[in-house]
Amino acid sequence: MSRLRLPLLSSASTTLRRRRSPRSSYSSGAVITSSSASHHTPPLKLQSPLFLRPLSHSASPSALLSFRRWAESLARSSAADLTFDGGPSSSELIREISWLLQDATSQDGDTFLLRTDLEDLYRLWRQRIEERRPFQYIVGCQHWRDLVLAVSEGVLIPRPETEEIVNLAARVEGLQDGMWADLGTGSGAIAIAIARMLGENGKVVATDLSEMAVEVAQFNVGRYKLENKVEIRQGSWFEPLQDLQGKLSGLVSNPPYIPSSHIHGLQAEVGRHEPSLALDGGENGTDHLLRLCEGSISSLKPGGFFAFETNGDKQSEQIVDFMTTQWSNSFHDIKIEADFAGIKRFVTGFRR
Amino acid sequence: MAFFKLLSTIYSKAAPFPDKIPTGMKPIIRLFYSSIYFGNQISINSSEKLKSGFSPIHKPTGLQKSSYFFVVSWTRWFSSSEDAVLSDPKTSDGMTVDDIVSKKWPILDENDGDWKSHAASIAQSIQLIKKRLQWRKMMVRSEQLSMALEKPDLWNDPIYASRVSREHGRLMGKMREVNGFEQELLELIDLIKLAREENDVELELESISAMLNMRKKAKEKELKALLAGENDPCSCYVEVQAGAGGTESMDWASMVLNMYISWAKRRGYDVMIVDEMHGEIAGIKHATIKVDGEFSFGFAKAEVGVHRLVRISPFDTGKRRHTSFAAVAVIPILGNETSCFQIKESDLRIERFRASGAGGQHVNTTESAVRIVHIPTGISATCQNERSQHQNKAAAMSVLQSRLDQLEMARQAQMNSEHTRSLTDISWGNQIRTYVLHPYRMVKDLRTNYEVSDPDSVLGGDLDGFILSFLSCALDNLEEKDSST
Ligand SMILES: C[S@@+](CC[C@H](N)C(=O)[O-])C[C@H]1O[C@@H](n2cnc3c(N)ncnc32)[C@H](O)[C@@H]1O
Repeated sequence: MSRLRLPLLSSASTTLRRRRSPRSSYSSGAVITSSSASHHTPPLKLQSPLFLRPLSHSASPSALLSFRRWAESLARSSAADLTFDGGPSSSELIREISWLLQDATSQDGDTFLLRTDLEDLYRLWRQRIEERRPFQYIVGCQHWRDLVLAVSEGVLIPRPETEEIVNLAARVEGLQDGMWADLGTGSGAIAIAIARMLGENGKVVATDLSEMAVEVAQFNVGRYKLENKVEIRQGSWFEPLQDLQGKLSGLVSNPPYIPSSHIHGLQAEVGRHEPSLALDGGENGTDHLLRLCEGSISSLKPGGFFAFETNGDKQSEQIVDFMTTQWSNSFHDIKIEADFAGIKRFVTGFRR
Repeated sequence: MAFFKLLSTIYSKAAPFPDKIPTGMKPIIRLFYSSIYFGNQISINSSEKLKSGFSPIHKPTGLQKSSYFFVVSWTRWFSSSEDAVLSDPKTSDGMTVDDIVSKKWPILDENDGDWKSHAASIAQSIQLIKKRLQWRKMMVRSEQLSMALEKPDLWNDPIYASRVSREHGRLMGKMREVNGFEQELLELIDLIKLAREENDVELELESISAMLNMRKKAKEKELKALLAGENDPCSCYVEVQAGAGGTESMDWASMVLNMYISWAKRRGYDVMIVDEMHGEIAGIKHATIKVDGEFSFGFAKAEVGVHRLVRISPFDTGKRRHTSFAAVAVIPILGNETSCFQIKESDLRIERFRASGAGGQHVNTTESAVRIVHIPTGISATCQNERSQHQNKAAAMSVLQSRLDQLEMARQAQMNSEHTRSLTDISWGNQIRTYVLHPYRMVKDLRTNYEVSDPDSVLGGDLDGFILSFLSCALDNLEEKDSST
């Protein structure tokens, strides 16, 4: 249900809607220690996303309004400095302020209940502007497709381009009741979205090398009550899939694909805050992609489908070249699909 | 228009109907004519039934009294059949609602138990309700629809067919409701007269109190009749666009937007910002909000037009007086079943706002705006306030559907000039209201001259006075125009 907060929260009329649906399915799974006072907990303990924390603080409307004014003026005055490396514009930042308040507050009559204290909101917004901390880490979630996924430092924030992998998988016929794998699952985004559209007997195994990713993905799987459909395993690429050799109906992955030399020039939100384990694809960026292509020969069953995200254009062509020359006997119908920006982003095909 | 005139003369003659159909009429009118004729026959039969129904209990005993009400409601059930809708109900001595109004009985306070005063007030309400419903047009239209429904090949085009039958059902329902109300009044008058003849005080009092009840209900119905348009029950999008004049106007546009957000919340609607473009310094360039709830379109359509603000600008260090403009458009959200425009997937161009450069893992942005262009019409919709591209696309798609529906409705209304013209057309319209904050304080509607001296309450969403006065004015003027043609 969409609902607006009081106009006072919208000095520039940026009142917004709040999504409630998946929150009700929130279960504090065993993996997660969700507590509101966990700023100082060890790095591997996931702090629960802002919008899921209890409403244990309150603030007057005027205090919130002055936070909003302050945050907006900070956004407007610093936006010029942020955009040089592809950072956010002022209108993006102003929208983020609405979303921050949307996640952090709930209106109860004339008072506002908060999921963190006001001081913390100021601190968070300063981090956003001064440290370029990604907005999604600040609120602890990313809205992706129709999902709201918990994310946290140490886990890649799922990208809108990647939404398309799920559409590509959805178009494949006859594999809806088989076993699928999402390698390097990160927050679990692709695995969860695919699991939700598989048939009754369809399942997904999702793997990641990173312990943090495994933890976050498990949390998200639990929030969507998919424990019976998505299994998370920790390990490097195909290593945790020994038991599934030749059994996979589908294999999808968005592996790290940025060439090592590009890492230091990335937009601050990415380069300074997202894990390089999730981004760095080796010298050409293709190290992991090639491993995945090779490994899919032995793990996909005949007729099985694969889809990989790449750095785009040249890299996609390189992968296709490689597959058609080196492993032409193993695959058929190899195709390149573009993303919404027209960049040749995905390589798909079938195991012979 | 001449067509209407002809029909209305026929209709007014139809009460003491001539026994011959005038020659030289177009077949369509002939059919219409015969249907009135037929309709009246039926209702005559039922009023005979009514009379004969009374004769056996001419001298009521205490036990029989309650059966008067039974008889009355029983006859009403049967006489308000679909065919009776087109007839003019009468009392047993031949008095119609119009006759009652023309008697000009003084209308006293509700607490004065004078039945004539109640009857006069109810009759006046019925006239007003009919006026607001555009009764004559409604009859012509429903007649056309019944004819269309009788065509054997109707269901060859199921979409058209269901639209026709839905509209027909809606009009018939409204007409039946009013006719039933009319009949109820006339039957109560009959009862009161009878009770007086019989010196039955108890029955008289009961009937008068029933009439008082009707009088109260009539006021509600008057209000309801303001929102009788086909799309009035829909939810809607409200769009606000800043006029020329930079920051000053953009700030005004955001004030207007907040006014509607507050108004909608007061009325208990759900509000969501769909599309919004901020000004560089303050305010908004434009915004689209979705106002979700019954009749939000019916009310909000009264706000279409240009809104003008006069004040000392907070952005002008010289503290001069400024005039700013903001334009408001309102679009109904038709349900899936009623959408009249079929969008072909292949006609769409979907544009996503992307960061320039490599995209993918290189970029982190919360910007996930989606713009959808309908290539054949050039109409587009943008949404960037959802937090994922997936959802921005879904939201933009529904805005686009509504815009195309509106275009299609305008086209159909043009083709079919008999169709009740909707109050809003697709354009942003004329200047409708002025808000003065300086040198004096006032908000004035230029269409109705409705005026309020407290701009803050209006800007805080207290708009109902403006909306209701506009809706009643608009309908009254429309009807006047018709009857003068
Ligand atoms: C670009 S991220 C993709 C995350 C997620 N699938 C998504 O699309 O949002 C790449 C992921 O691969 C994981 N990864 C890196 N090296 C890996 C390895 N050797 N084995 C398994 N996963 C690995 C990273 O931890 C990271 O989660």
